[in-house]
Amino acid sequence: MSFPTVVFYVLSAILIFAGLRVITAKNPVHAALYLVLAFFTSAGHWLLLESEFLAISLVLVYVGAVMVLFLFVVMMLDINFEKLREGFWKNAPLAGTVGLIMVGEMVLILMSPEASLGSYKGAAPLAADASNIRELGRLIYTTYLWPFELAAVVLLVGMVAAIALTMRKRKDTKFVNPGDQVVVRRDDRVRLVKMAAVKRSEPVAEAESADQQA
Amino acid sequence: MDMKSLYLLIALAPLAGSLIAGLFGWAIGRRASHVVTILGVAVSAVLSLKVLSGFISGQTEVFNGSVYTWLTVGGHEYAVGFLVDKLTAMMMVVVSCVSLMVHIYTIGYMQEDPGYQRFFSYISLFTFSMLMLVMSNNFIQLFFGWEAVGLVSYLLIGFWFKRPTATFANLKAFLVNRVGDFGFLLGIGLVLAHFGGSLNYNDVFAAAPALANKTIQIFPGVEWSLMTVTCILLFVGAMGKSAQFPLHVWLPDSMEGPTPISALIHAATMVTAGLFMVSRMSPLFEMSDTALNFVMISGTITALFMGFLGIVQNDIKKVVAYSTLSQLGYMTVALGASAYSAAMFHVMTHAFFKALLFLGAGSVIMGMHHDQDMRNMGGLRKYMPITWITSLIGSLALIGTPFFSGFYSKDSIIEAVAASHLPFAGVAYWALIIGVFVTAFYSFRMYFLVFHGKERWMENHGAHHGHDDDHDDEEPSTDHHHGLGPNDKPHESPWVVTLPLLALAIPSVLIGFFAIEPLLFGDFFKGAITIDALKHPGMHELAEEFHGPVAMAVHALSTLPFWLALSGVVVAWFFYLKAPQIPAAIKQQFSAVHKVLENKYYLDDLYFNLFAKGARALGTLFWKVGDMLLIDGLMVNGTAKLVGVFSRLTRKLQTGFIYSYATTMIIGVLGLMTLWFAGIILR
Amino acid sequence: MNWADLNLVPVMPEIFLISALSVILLLDLFISDAKRGITYGLSLLTLAGTAALQVYTFEPYAQYTLSNMFVADPLASLVKLAMYGATAMILVYSRQYAADRDMFKGEFFTLALFALFGMNVMVSASHFLSLYMGLELLSLSLYALIALQRDSVPATEAAMKYFVLGALASGLLLYGMSMVYGATGTLEIAAIAKSIHGGSANQLLLVFGLVFLVAGLAFKLGAVPFHMWIPDVYQGSPTAITLMIGAAPKLAAFVFIFRILVQGLDGLTGDWQSMLAIMAVLSMAIGNITAIAQTNLKRMLAYSTISHMGFLLLGLLAGNEQGYSSALFYAVTYVLTTLASFGVIMALSRAGFECDKLEDLKGLNSRNSWYAALMLLTMFSLAGIPPLVGFYAKFAVIKAIVDIGLVKLAVFAVAMSLIGAFYYLRVVKHMYFDEVQDTSPIVVRGDMQLVLSLNALALLVLGVLPERLIEICVEAMKQSLTVL
Repeated sequence: MSFPTVVFYVLSAILIFAGLRVITAKNPVHAALYLVLAFFTSAGHWLLLESEFLAISLVLVYVGAVMVLFLFVVMMLDINFEKLREGFWKNAPLAGTVGLIMVGEMVLILMSPEASLGSYKGAAPLAADASNIRELGRLIYTTYLWPFELAAVVLLVGMVAAIALTMRKRKDTKFVNPGDQVVVRRDDRVRLVKMAAVKRSEPVAEAESADQQA
Repeated sequence: MDMKSLYLLIALAPLAGSLIAGLFGWAIGRRASHVVTILGVAVSAVLSLKVLSGFISGQTEVFNGSVYTWLTVGGHEYAVGFLVDKLTAMMMVVVSCVSLMVHIYTIGYMQEDPGYQRFFSYISLFTFSMLMLVMSNNFIQLFFGWEAVGLVSYLLIGFWFKRPTATFANLKAFLVNRVGDFGFLLGIGLVLAHFGGSLNYNDVFAAAPALANKTIQIFPGVEWSLMTVTCILLFVGAMGKSAQFPLHVWLPDSMEGPTPISALIHAATMVTAGLFMVSRMSPLFEMSDTALNFVMISGTITALFMGFLGIVQNDIKKVVAYSTLSQLGYMTVALGASAYSAAMFHVMTHAFFKALLFLGAGSVIMGMHHDQDMRNMGGLRKYMPITWITSLIGSLALIGTPFFSGFYSKDSIIEAVAASHLPFAGVAYWALIIGVFVTAFYSFRMYFLVFHGKERWMENHGAHHGHDDDHDDEEPSTDHHHGLGPNDKPHESPWVVTLPLLALAIPSVLIGFFAIEPLLFGDFFKGAITIDALKHPGMHELAEEFHGPVAMAVHALSTLPFWLALSGVVVAWFFYLKAPQIPAAIKQQFSAVHKVLENKYYLDDLYFNLFAKGARALGTLFWKVGDMLLIDGLMVNGTAKLVGVFSRLTRKLQTGFIYSYATTMIIGVLGLMTLWFAGIILR
Repeated sequence: MNWADLNLVPVMPEIFLISALSVILLLDLFISDAKRGITYGLSLLTLAGTAALQVYTFEPYAQYTLSNMFVADPLASLVKLAMYGATAMILVYSRQYAADRDMFKGEFFTLALFALFGMNVMVSASHFLSLYMGLELLSLSLYALIALQRDSVPATEAAMKYFVLGALASGLLLYGMSMVYGATGTLEIAAIAKSIHGGSANQLLLVFGLVFLVAGLAFKLGAVPFHMWIPDVYQGSPTAITLMIGAAPKLAAFVFIFRILVQGLDGLTGDWQSMLAIMAVLSMAIGNITAIAQTNLKRMLAYSTISHMGFLLLGLLAGNEQGYSSALFYAVTYVLTTLASFGVIMALSRAGFECDKLEDLKGLNSRNSWYAALMLLTMFSLAGIPPLVGFYAKFAVIKAIVDIGLVKLAVFAVAMSLIGAFYYLRVVKHMYFDEVQDTSPIVVRGDMQLVLSLNALALLVLGVLPERLIEICVEAMKQSLTVL
């Protein structure tokens, strides 16, 4: 067994363990951290395939951005995970059965001689000075220009959607606009009312109406 | 204008008139309605005459082509198409010309009717349908025309739909025709199934010779000749439409419709549709002697026994109606004797003189203020001279007076039957000979009762008033229509009525003389009508004996039919003018026979009790057991209950929780996977 | 790839659309809520311009460009034009509706146009990558649109459900695509087809991938058992958005399936035919039967959609030109019918009132006989009653499967349509024979009234004169099939 093979199996074992723990861990923060572990081991797989750039971007994007965000959410929202997990053991048998059958079938199919996965040879090793990034860049800006542009549009939609869904003006806010305060004039706030010097016959009503005017 | 658009114009002009009068009649008024419909029919008539003259002079070619593809189902194309040959051209002329006369006549006849525009719309629609029927080049369109004329006939018989007798009559006509149409449709079905899958006449005729000896099994073990079964089924359709025994019962009742209709539809054109169809199908009928024999039997019974019924009728229109039945029987016998051209010849002459007689009768009825009972008439010749003369011409033509048109066609039929070698031809011949006497007798009985003798409306009116109620005009306000009062005088009808009478009288006299030679013994119908000369040499033998119309007429003076007709006239004169007590005595003496005749051989009662009541009983049974129990109870409500249970169940599956939805999806994938890889997984 | 080779002409409509969209996005920032009509007008103008470019750049054959990732063929052009029309109609229908519900904002229009752009990409994709990008673009826009009404609990719930299940379906789809990639070594549809026909592809892997692909596709279409999202999302979303989900995307999904299954996996026709058959049968049965038990109009129409998608699958599984073109005809006319039916629902709704229950339609005829008549047309068309276009669509599909000998399937389909007719006719019964419950006046903008009337009458006109559209569908299909 060559060294890369050993590394592959070790990484895979960790990956599967981490994946299982993501579902079974009681503490959501632990679950998230196990997910981080799973990403790291997947990145290791990329490295084995000589795709250094993908390995790095997996770590940067998923671990650096997605999971950090996720941890924030978990910590900020006080979600009662115990309650969410209530039905877990009740549904576990069915879920487990379905999952196991699924896995079993897939293994049987892919392992069957007809699948002949053995006939797939690995890609030829790259030269020592080959640059992943340069190749990717070249492809992205030439052959894969269209999907690349589309990806940009998808991101734009994501932005628009995020803004549309989250940006809102609260109506009950106590926010004060200093600009408004500065440009205010005396007439806006104060009004002088001329009062008659002599009291008339219905002083009470007069006073009330004066009050209202003020 | 090319021929295709010319033919289209011929067919569509009446339709346009009909639509305008029918849909906008309320807006454009009476006058515009009849102008527009008459214009449409006149266009058809003029163009049809042009087409016919083209054929006679040899300039026009036979046209056969589709005009519009209606639908395509599984490789079968159903098109609206025209087949215009000489047979068609002749029918087109007959239909459009008689229709034109009737249109003009209607202006006078329906003058006071509130349904004036509706009536014009109907008769124009009829003209369109009839033209489509005769011009068709395929069975589908034929069937369309067939049903369309049936529909218009139904509408027109029940035109005065407030009269119970009229609605009964139109229902009867409709139901009896249904029986015939059912046979017809089965026949078309057989054609579609066995004749190469096409419904075009030409394809069918081309496929027919190869199928001459083909047999089919309808009941297991019994082999029937395909051609015979097909032809008989098609003829069943003709029996309904052309009122042949035993499906003739609707025609006398159809006289409930206004008289112009009786002339146009129930004498001149629609009832000949069946005969036309059989002539068109002559290539098929020629292959089956059995079918021809069947045709002949049906025709013979109609020709003779319906004539007898004409003798005992007192309603002037009923007399003409039974005479029509009897004449249709003559034509049918001719078809059976393979004398298609003679039949079509008689169709043509009969169309003119019978329309004339009907319109004459209508004129009389108008003169009598809508009293139709001949016992109240008499001596009308003084008051209605034109009607009198034209009716006399019509009657003379009908009984086959030499040189009149009816003589040539009727005599040809009798001769053709005599020359036929079919087993039943001998019986048919004698039946027709007797029929000649009967025809002459009832025709002149009517003629003498109406136009000669005492002026009976003064004395008899009160006595027969009750009897006539059925025939009174619909409107309650027009009480004076109950017939003439003792002091009223009949008056001649207006020119719109007499003009058609005169116009129809001319061909009634002349057309036979001029048309017999080309039509029967020339090659006018060559290509349109096929006769198997080896098996049915009748017409050929006749042609050899024919030496011109004058010789034929002179020769007839020494033959039996002429003397029988003459004696019929004399007997009628003697009975009804000279010694009116004799018929009463005979009636007394042979009251049983008279009763049978008066009840139309009890066929109506038989049909009513057997079929109508039986069908109702069967219907009730089906309704109770089939509908109420099986369909409503088990199928409809049962299904609904089942569906309800099921839908509540599926609604339960829709829990509203994402995870259950996701699970469903996963299980779906799993299911698909398992189904497709079961083999691999199980291994 | 060389820049000089870059042929952008076939992509002109898309480029124009996305450019105009960006302009609207920016301009909208400077438009106050009161003047939002400007954004509305600009959006309609954009649609008109795109459609004009689409017609202008039309060629009667398939043009490949952008490294064979984009194809402009007659099928794409036809479907795109239909989608522009549908989107424009939705905008017209939802103007008042959105204004009444505080949704008449810039995002409403931009997201709708983004969704349209995504559909355009899907329809014109000749590569799994662009197919997938288009799909995600569409889905993302739709998720956001549903959630746009932030304070509505049902809408948020619907968005969440659609999002999670959509992500799952995307995963299935991607998994299937990767399997196909593994088997054939390419993501380009034409190359995949070639590889399968050449026999060099691993059949087992292909079929394995196919199972997942079909599952993902069926989700988009809403075929059983991947249909669960449809009723909840249809009901929960604001009606305008329901229409955006239910109309044009069905067309895009149809082409999507066509490109993957017919153009790409042509060699596996036997396999996907049976898969589609199973799903078609289940969809027609469950869709029609469950619809009967519904009291909510939108939910009922959702189940009706499921059953109609079953019918659409029938046309596809016929596996020949006749079947595909009948399915295309079915999709186009179905979209037209859906537009009209939801259009009427929106016309009858008003501020603070959703006309989404069956009983809300009671006695509609006496309130406003014109809208009752329009609804009648759409219901008859959905039920497949001649002479409305729904009848011809069903007829064409059934004829296609009878022609390939699947008579039992055809009989089943007819039986299910009969069951379906029940609930459509129940709507008619409510409108015409029941007592009025709600007597408030129906106020509809003039332009919407006009467009909606034309829309519903088109169902009748197309039903009487369907030949032209059928011809166009057949012609478009013929071109797309000759590429193979």
